[in-house]
Amino acid sequence: MRKINKEMVFGGVILSLYIIWAVIWMSTHGSNYSPTSIISNELFKPLTDGYVLGTDINGRSLFEVLSVGLVYTVGISLLISSSACLIGILIGYLSAIRIKFVSEIMDMLTNLIFIFPSILLAILVMSFSGQSYTGLVLCLIFTSWPGYARIARGETMRVLNLGYVESARAIGVGEFRLFYKSILPSIVPVISIHFVLGISGVIISEASLGFLGLGASEYSWGAILSMAKLVLLEAPHVVIVTSLLMTGLIISLNLFSDGLRDYLDPKLKG
Amino acid sequence: MKLILKSFLTLFFAITTIFFALRLTPGDPVERLLGPEAKVEEIQKYRSELGLDKSIVDQYYDFAKGIVSFDLGNSFFKKDSVVNLIQANLAPTVVLALISILLSAPIGIFIGVISAVKKSQLPDTLIRLISLTFLSFPIFSLAPLLVLIFSIWLGIFPVSQWLSLKHMVIPIVTLVLPLSSVIIRVMRNKYLEEESQLWVLVLNAKGLSNFAIIYRLIKICLPTILNVVAIQLSVVLAGTVITETIFDIPGLGSLLFEAINNRDYPLVQGIIAYSTVIYMLVYVIVDYANEKLDPRIGQ
Repeated sequence: MRKINKEMVFGGVILSLYIIWAVIWMSTHGSNYSPTSIISNELFKPLTDGYVLGTDINGRSLFEVLSVGLVYTVGISLLISSSACLIGILIGYLSAIRIKFVSEIMDMLTNLIFIFPSILLAILVMSFSGQSYTGLVLCLIFTSWPGYARIARGETMRVLNLGYVESARAIGVGEFRLFYKSILPSIVPVISIHFVLGISGVIISEASLGFLGLGASEYSWGAILSMAKLVLLEAPHVVIVTSLLMTGLIISLNLFSDGLRDYLDPKLKG
Repeated sequence: MKLILKSFLTLFFAITTIFFALRLTPGDPVERLLGPEAKVEEIQKYRSELGLDKSIVDQYYDFAKGIVSFDLGNSFFKKDSVVNLIQANLAPTVVLALISILLSAPIGIFIGVISAVKKSQLPDTLIRLISLTFLSFPIFSLAPLLVLIFSIWLGIFPVSQWLSLKHMVIPIVTLVLPLSSVIIRVMRNKYLEEESQLWVLVLNAKGLSNFAIIYRLIKICLPTILNVVAIQLSVVLAGTVITETIFDIPGLGSLLFEAINNRDYPLVQGIIAYSTVIYMLVYVIVDYANEKLDPRIGQ
């Protein structure tokens, strides 16, 4: 019996708070809003002069800076994860139905990508491509698809041997329909767990790059943290607020994917 | 044997990829070196001195020749050979990574077992919650918080640099917290999985003490933990890049970061080659150790 568990509810609630925040911000301010900078308002403490979270080093409202960053982070990580997911499913599936050269290339690339820390690759690409949005997206897609491909391959292989797929094949269902109707539905639950985890991975990678000064946006939470680190003594609130918000987002994603796993596959429950 | 061949192949691919990735992406080390006001003749002279005026195939040939004879060339920016630079910066990174792993593994195993034994009770819930929290802390957000608490508010440990044992505490804690959290979770799940096996019941029926059974269960979980540590090694080494940058530690990670920013081709290639070799070694050792720990794997 499937039961919605505590992890899922808790993670889901926190996660939806972030999403509601991002959506409200998007609908009231649009995607091109940039917080105004008033130098004389430098590093206000929270709750002074109507700045709920205080101001950052450039005198911008920290709340506004973080909001723009959140919208950017959510957007970019969804874009990257869904592209990586689609590519992964396709390649995993093709390699599972034994198209030889696909599985050979996949093996080689996955080994290479797994052994090479993705963040190093990202640092390399970003420092050369000059911190572009496209560079960042392509680079993170490139390092995250193998995870999806592995799962898709494993699941496809498992399902291919099951009775109902064989029966479908026996009555002459075409390859595409077979994939769409029989195989995809069984891949989706497992992939969706990885998808949620993958998003948190992408958020961390993106923020790490931002922290190292290689991000694609100055509003990336990583970039805000690296700036905040410089004023740790004068304005600890910037570090505290940003760190906790960042971690809260990751925790909610991890919790949610934990709960989702137990929900979708009670056998795996640990 | 096959494993060694495969390792060399991967090494070859990694180095070759880096070589071409470096040269085909925009950014010129000579322009960086001489600044924007350099004259054309000066740039030309430097380029031929560094061997950058040759065709890319010739450069690759030179590079490959160097690798075979363990000569990785000289850094463009620092007047020293790559091998020397790596050796000078190796110690802090190795110490950082090694101590973190050596601390995390026992902590992770110990707490993981407690969590599994007390399954669904208060200690387990607490451990799971705390380990999930630390697992979720990105290094760059954990580090400033730790600095804030321990260096600035409590004033126990220094903020940055790498001079004495005291300087090492916060960087190591930054790496140990997430890593041991991963191990705790894996250990707990693996332990529970093994606990339901028949042989545990048999040992129990035989009248073996709880302690002896736990010892045997831990032994059976070790290969899994070893694999996790091996996989996490790449995370740890990537983590050292960030940790070293944050804490101003003169290690391989900060050297690499600097070299990438300067487009110091030989240095980047050298560090990547070095760390790939380290990965390879670790994987071979882990494979070997796993076979020793669990004879079933070898068959």
